[in-house]
Amino acid sequence: MDHNQGLVPLSIMRSGQRGRIITLNVGRGQARRLMEMGLLPGEIVDILSNSAGPIIIRVRDVTLALGRNIASRIWIEAM
Amino acid sequence: MAKILAALAGTPNVGKSTLFNRITGGDVHVANWPGVTLQRAEGKTVHHGIEINIVDLPGTYSLSARDIGERVARDFIVRKKPDVLVVVVDATSLKKSLYFAVMALELYTRVVIALNMIDAADKRGIHIDVDGMEAKLGVPIVPISALKGIGIGVLLDRTLDVAQGIKTRKELLKVNYNGLEPYIYKIEKILKNENALNHYPRIWTAIRLFEGDEVIVEELREEKPELLPKIEALKEKARLELGEDLGRLAISSRYSFIDDITKSSVIEVRLAAPSFSEKLDRLMLHPLLGPIISAFVILITFFLIFAINTGFPLNLLLEYAGYKELASLVEEYSLSGILGSAFDLLSSGIKAWMTSIGYSGWTVGLLADGIIDSLGTLISFVPLLLLAYIFLGAMQDSGLFPRAAVSFDSLFRKFGLSGKAFFPAALGMGCSVAAVTSTRAMDDDRERRVTAMTSPLIPCQARLLVLLTIASAVSSDPLSQSALTIFIYVLSFILYLLTSNLLNKLVFKIEYAPDLLMELPPYHRPSLRVVWWYARSNTEHFLRKAGLLILGLGIVTWFLLNFGSLGYLSGDIANSFAAYIGNILSPITSLIGLPDWRYALAFEVGFVAKEGLLITFSSVTGVSDPVEALRVIGLTPLKGVSMALAMSYYVPCMATVAALITELRVGRYVLLTILMELMIAFVLAATAYWTGLMLGFT
Repeated sequence: MDHNQGLVPLSIMRSGQRGRIITLNVGRGQARRLMEMGLLPGEIVDILSNSAGPIIIRVRDVTLALGRNIASRIWIEAM
Repeated sequence: MAKILAALAGTPNVGKSTLFNRITGGDVHVANWPGVTLQRAEGKTVHHGIEINIVDLPGTYSLSARDIGERVARDFIVRKKPDVLVVVVDATSLKKSLYFAVMALELYTRVVIALNMIDAADKRGIHIDVDGMEAKLGVPIVPISALKGIGIGVLLDRTLDVAQGIKTRKELLKVNYNGLEPYIYKIEKILKNENALNHYPRIWTAIRLFEGDEVIVEELREEKPELLPKIEALKEKARLELGEDLGRLAISSRYSFIDDITKSSVIEVRLAAPSFSEKLDRLMLHPLLGPIISAFVILITFFLIFAINTGFPLNLLLEYAGYKELASLVEEYSLSGILGSAFDLLSSGIKAWMTSIGYSGWTVGLLADGIIDSLGTLISFVPLLLLAYIFLGAMQDSGLFPRAAVSFDSLFRKFGLSGKAFFPAALGMGCSVAAVTSTRAMDDDRERRVTAMTSPLIPCQARLLVLLTIASAVSSDPLSQSALTIFIYVLSFILYLLTSNLLNKLVFKIEYAPDLLMELPPYHRPSLRVVWWYARSNTEHFLRKAGLLILGLGIVTWFLLNFGSLGYLSGDIANSFAAYIGNILSPITSLIGLPDWRYALAFEVGFVAKEGLLITFSSVTGVSDPVEALRVIGLTPLKGVSMALAMSYYVPCMATVAALITELRVGRYVLLTILMELMIAFVLAATAYWTGLMLGFT
């Protein structure tokens, strides 16, 4: 897909990687909840742990656990 | 005395409860917010001769009214107009926790900001220019440590200042909304001209309308529906001109405002070494080690709780090692042992005293056996609940619980649950009432209902007591006793997952487990004050709610046991109404190998409280030691297994039913829960019994 060039879903990022959030491909209500928790497009996320189960990230000085389903809908530009 | 009303608000995990507790000194009234199952805590303190009444608002990430908590918090601020709104923020994560403060300042002017965990921020090399921040936000900001009690006096000074109109903002905070302003003013003007939604600040309402706040839209639809198309047209125009989703624009504008503040007022000297939290998280969040460590921590905790409350499993371990006397000492001096003998003493003392002053017959029985024993049952709940809540409070406050939820998420997901379903399951081992009420913390409504319905399947401490008695009655070998106990527990967790999955699919029609979205706060030593207060207030709340019910049902049970068609029976239970009911039920219990009316009677009484089961066997046999009583009745190992299964999984107690009624609020779900429990108990016990018979057991 052209418009996703260079973008990957958060769910496939590896532990220790860092990226910038580009889009949230979720419903409007869910998107606003995520944004209010600090997961805004433009923010930098650090992936603390990503193996089986929820992915653990750090964004805006807060550690969050995200289910894999949500994580696969958050598109990241790896840095 | 002059009085003021203050409200405490902030995001979860910023130490709001700790601060609330620190200010009120634990003198707190706990109730529910009207119409919802959210806990409302209220307390007071006197500062410089002024009484400050403090209401603890639900901890939420914003004031958007997207869930019950946000709505309750916002409505309180708008409608009750507290003299001061104390907003708690976390000094170690200002970039995040200031979001709530900004939203609050856009809605309300009389605000004080409590900059909590300032000690932790210092330690981590985070330096905050408080004066600079005050200048930008226009309200007093007080660095505090709620945990250590630093800065509380100053915070209360500023609270009084703001209540008296000193140092307060004259108007609401304005965030730069990057081009949205002209549209905001247009809507503000419409609202003003039409006199619409007057109870909210107008600019704020205009912004909320751009963000698509459903509550506000709904209120406008009721008040002035003709304005909606005008507003929709303006929103569409703004969307086209600004080329962006307006909700996102509003949220990102607030965050840019926060970034401006933190850039100029917060200096962070990055520490090179990974923090304790990070190191511990490498273990706790490890896909394989995580669940093992979580399970281990919980097992150890329950080992302690059980040992203090019941003596188990310490007594069995000691017995196995050959220290029989020590084992029985441990049992005798466990909390339930001590309470049990204290109430026995009290009840026989009252009996003797009443007889000596000339009373006789049923009045003595009612007071000594009916009322005092029910009180004993009620009091026996206190240590069980208190310890379970202390455990939950400490795990939550330390940050361990969210990690456990993460590590169990993969397993639970296979059964249509999220990792959060771990909380009620763990708590269920302490007390089913606590388990059912803890489901409030779930953010998915259907998952909350499902876990409230299934968590009572996990044996609580009262059932553990009965289970151990059955195990000791049918075997003198500590190994087989433990095997039966462990089998019941393991099976209960499997049942918890399977029935949740079934309910999800058949009743609630959920295809996928709710996705986890959870903050993992840094680990810290739990605050004893908060944990103690949490345990105490929850236990009191339960006693107030269920106390009369238990006492009343206890008296009814006493009546059924002691009266028959012949009137007062003075101990001849075989002719009582209860025995009569037992006889009617015994065909059913005979299917699980317990044909005697006395078993049916015991199950009846066990519905009041599980300990009642044992008391019944003692009363019908006249043997006070329940283990002996079960042997007298003729409980074989096979019958013991059947009884253990039936006892562990049928309706835990009427207090749990009461909790289910208040949490589920839908009669047919409560009924479904009870039916499900009865069926599981019956089917499992019958299967075990008939399989055993075929294998040649008796």
